[in-house]
Amino acid sequence: MQTDVGGAADARTLTASYIYVARYVYSDTVLHNDNQFRIFPRDGEGQAVLQTQLWTLPAGRGVAFRDRFGNSVQRYRVVEQHTDFVVATVGLVGLASHQPVVDDASLEEVRDLPEAFEFSSWSPLVDPESVADLARDIAGGADSLLVAVGRVIDWVYGEVRYTRGETNVATTAAQVANARAGVCQDKSHLALGMLRSLGIPCRYLSGLLTGQTGETHSWMEFLHPREGWLGADPTRGVVLPPARDYVKLAVGRDYTDVSPVSGSFLSKGGAQECAVISAVWFSDKESSLNDALALLDNAFVVKNSVVQP
Amino acid sequence: MALHMYAPLIESYSEWHDSGGHTRNHYANIAEAADSLGPLELARRWGQAQRQVDLDAFTFYLDPKQYRPAPADWVPRVIPEDHWNVISAGVAQRLRAINHFLVDLYGDTQDVVPDEVMFTSHYFYPEVQGFRPPKDVFVHIYGIDLVHLGDGRYVVLEDNLRIPSGITYQLKSVEMVARYLPEFGAGYDVIPYEIRQTYHDMFRSLCDVDSPVCVLLTDGKFGSAFFEHRYLSELLGIPLVEGSDLYVGHDGRVYARTLDQDIPVDLIYRRVEDLDLFVPGLRGAYLDHKVVLVNGLGSGAADDKLVFMWVPQMVQRYLSETAILEQAPSFNLSDQESRRYVLENLDDLVIKARQGYGGFGVYVMPDLGPTHKTRVTHHILENPEAFIAQETLDFSNHMVFNNETGRLEPRYIDLRVFAIQDGNGNVTVLPGGLTRVALAGGRITNNSSGGLCKPTWVVRQTPGR
Repeated sequence: MQTDVGGAADARTLTASYIYVARYVYSDTVLHNDNQFRIFPRDGEGQAVLQTQLWTLPAGRGVAFRDRFGNSVQRYRVVEQHTDFVVATVGLVGLASHQPVVDDASLEEVRDLPEAFEFSSWSPLVDPESVADLARDIAGGADSLLVAVGRVIDWVYGEVRYTRGETNVATTAAQVANARAGVCQDKSHLALGMLRSLGIPCRYLSGLLTGQTGETHSWMEFLHPREGWLGADPTRGVVLPPARDYVKLAVGRDYTDVSPVSGSFLSKGGAQECAVISAVWFSDKESSLNDALALLDNAFVVKNSVVQP
Repeated sequence: MALHMYAPLIESYSEWHDSGGHTRNHYANIAEAADSLGPLELARRWGQAQRQVDLDAFTFYLDPKQYRPAPADWVPRVIPEDHWNVISAGVAQRLRAINHFLVDLYGDTQDVVPDEVMFTSHYFYPEVQGFRPPKDVFVHIYGIDLVHLGDGRYVVLEDNLRIPSGITYQLKSVEMVARYLPEFGAGYDVIPYEIRQTYHDMFRSLCDVDSPVCVLLTDGKFGSAFFEHRYLSELLGIPLVEGSDLYVGHDGRVYARTLDQDIPVDLIYRRVEDLDLFVPGLRGAYLDHKVVLVNGLGSGAADDKLVFMWVPQMVQRYLSETAILEQAPSFNLSDQESRRYVLENLDDLVIKARQGYGGFGVYVMPDLGPTHKTRVTHHILENPEAFIAQETLDFSNHMVFNNETGRLEPRYIDLRVFAIQDGNGNVTVLPGGLTRVALAGGRITNNSSGGLCKPTWVVRQTPGR
C-alpha cells in the first residue's frame, strides 16, 4: 500500500498498524475522570495518519484539538462512576521508509532560528545550563550541526546505562547526567539539554517503536536550518533514523508537554495502578478494541477485571 | 473634632478627592457626617456594627475551621447615576453575549474562541455538548468584577459565571449602614432595589409549572459562603438543602426528603460545582431535563480567564454591538509572541492562573519580591497554557475608616456587580454591587483573599454642598 506522506516524491512508504492501551485501577469509586490524551499519531513530516479510533471504558464524551506544538489532543470526560478505567486507540499510519540524506549545517545557522525561543531554552525537566559543561566537554569543539549531534548522541548512548527503576517521570536532565543511568526518556532529556546548551533547537518525541510490543518510546529531533526537524535516538544510538522506525505521537520541550495521559479524577480514594502497552507492526489491517484489550490482558495479570468490551 | 485623613499614599484615582484635594460633590455629605460624628463616635459605631455582624453570623470563611465575621468597612461608596447607567448597560450586554456564546459552544457551533483554548478550559464539560438548557439560559446569576480608572472609565477584570458569591454581602452591608450609621445617608437619593421578586420571576420563567418547587443547594455550613446560602434561602423563602437531602428517584426526577413525604423538586439554585459529588445522578437528571439548574451546568467554560479575552468578540458576533465596557488587556501565553512580550515585561503585568478564583493564583508582579517573581516566571515557563497575563491597572482608591487610628485611609477598591437573567430574555442588573477593599499595601480585593466589603450606593442626584 502506497501513501503520500508529504515527503519527497520518491519516498516509498509502508503502512503500519498500531495499538496503544492503558488501564488505570483506582482504590475507590471515581465520580468523574477528565483527561487529555496525546496518543494519536502526528500528521506530516514523514508520517501520514490513515485511520484512528479511540475508546474509553466506561465511555466518555470527548473533544479534539491541537495544542501549541501541533499535537492532536483528545480530551475525554467520563462521568459514569467507575473504579477501573481504560483508554485504547488503534489506527493505521503510512511511514516513509527511506533514510534521510541531508547536507550539514553550521551551528551558527541554527542558533537564531525562531524555534529557538521554545526549543533551546529552559523547560521543566531540561535545564540546558545544568549540563552545559558536560556538553562542552563532549562536543564543544564542533562547529558542524551533524558532528555536534552525532557526538552527543553517541556519548549518551554509550555512557548512560539503560536501567529501569532508577528514575521516574520527574527525573531531570541534570540528575541523569549525574547518575549516568535511566530509560529512553532520561536519555532523551539529557541529549536535549546538552544540544540546547550548544544552541541547537531540539524537541522531545513520544511515540512507538515499530516492530515492537511494549511500552511507549521516546527520542528526539533537532532542527536543521534547511531540512527542518530531523530525528536522533540516544537510546538506540542512531542519528537520522528512517521514519519507518517510529510512530510519532507527540512532540514537546520535554516529557511534561507530551505525557500520553494527563488529567484529573474525583474520588475519595487516590491510589491507582497503571498498566500501559503498545504495539506497532507493518500491516494494512486496522486493529479493533478487542485486539487492544487482548494485548493488555496478555501482557498483564489483571485481577478483578471489570472491563467488558 | 475633625477627622484626619491620610494624605493619599496611593497615587491612583481617588473616588473621594478631586485632583485639587477637595472632597468630590457626591461625597460631601458623607464627609460632613463623618466629621460631625468624629473619630471616637465612629469607632463606637464600628464596634456596634461589628457586634451585630458577629450575632448575625455574617461570615466569610477563609478557613472552614475558623469562625470569622466578614470584614467590612462602613463608609459607603457612592456611584453617580450617570456612571451607573454605563455600567449597567455594559454588564447586561456582556451577560447576553456570553450566554449566547455558551449556547453555541455546547451546540458545537461556536467559532469565536479557538478550540485549543476552549477545550482546555477546566470547566468546559464535553458531556453537556448537544444539551440546550431551559429557555436557552446558562447564566442566570452573573457576577462581574470591575475597577474604576477614573472619570467613569470602568474596566472589566473578570467574569464569574459558575456560582458567584457576594449578592447578600451587597444587601447586608447597605442594611448595616442604614442601621448603624444613618447619618451617612442624609441627603442621598439611593436607587432602591429588591431581589426576592427578581429571583422568583426568574425561577418561574424557567419552569413549566406555575408554582415551581425550588431549593438552594449548599455545600454546607463549612463552605466559605454559607452565610450567603442561609441568608438567601431565608430571603427567597426557599429551603436550604445539603446534598444528602436530595436524591434522584426511579423516574429520573430529583426529590427532596422531608419528614412527611419526599417532594419532587423543579429547580435547584445550586451553590456547588461538583454536582454528582453532592447528589449522585444529579448531572444526569439535569441533562435529561428532569430538573432546572441555576446556573446551568458548564457555564464555567466562559469563566476561564483565558476565554475572557474573547468576550468583546462575542459581543460583536452575537449582538452586532461594540462592547460598552473596556476590559483589562490580556495576553495568551500559548502564543509565542505574547509569551516573549510577557516574559520581557513581567514587571508591569498581573499573572493569573486560568482556573483560579477568589484571588488565588493572582500575582501582581510589580508588588512581588525577586524570589517570588522568579517562582512565577518558572510557573509560566513550565506550563504557559495554565496562565494569562494582564496589564496592571492603576485603579481607584477609596477612604476606609481605621478604627484603631481613628483616621480615614485610602485603599484600592473594585466593584462586583450582579445581574440576573430570566427565561424571557430579561436581564436585571442590581444597582450598586459589592465594593471590595484591598488589604493595606495590596491590590487584590477578593474576600477570599482577606479583602473587606463595603456598602455601595447608586445615587440619583449628586447632593450639593
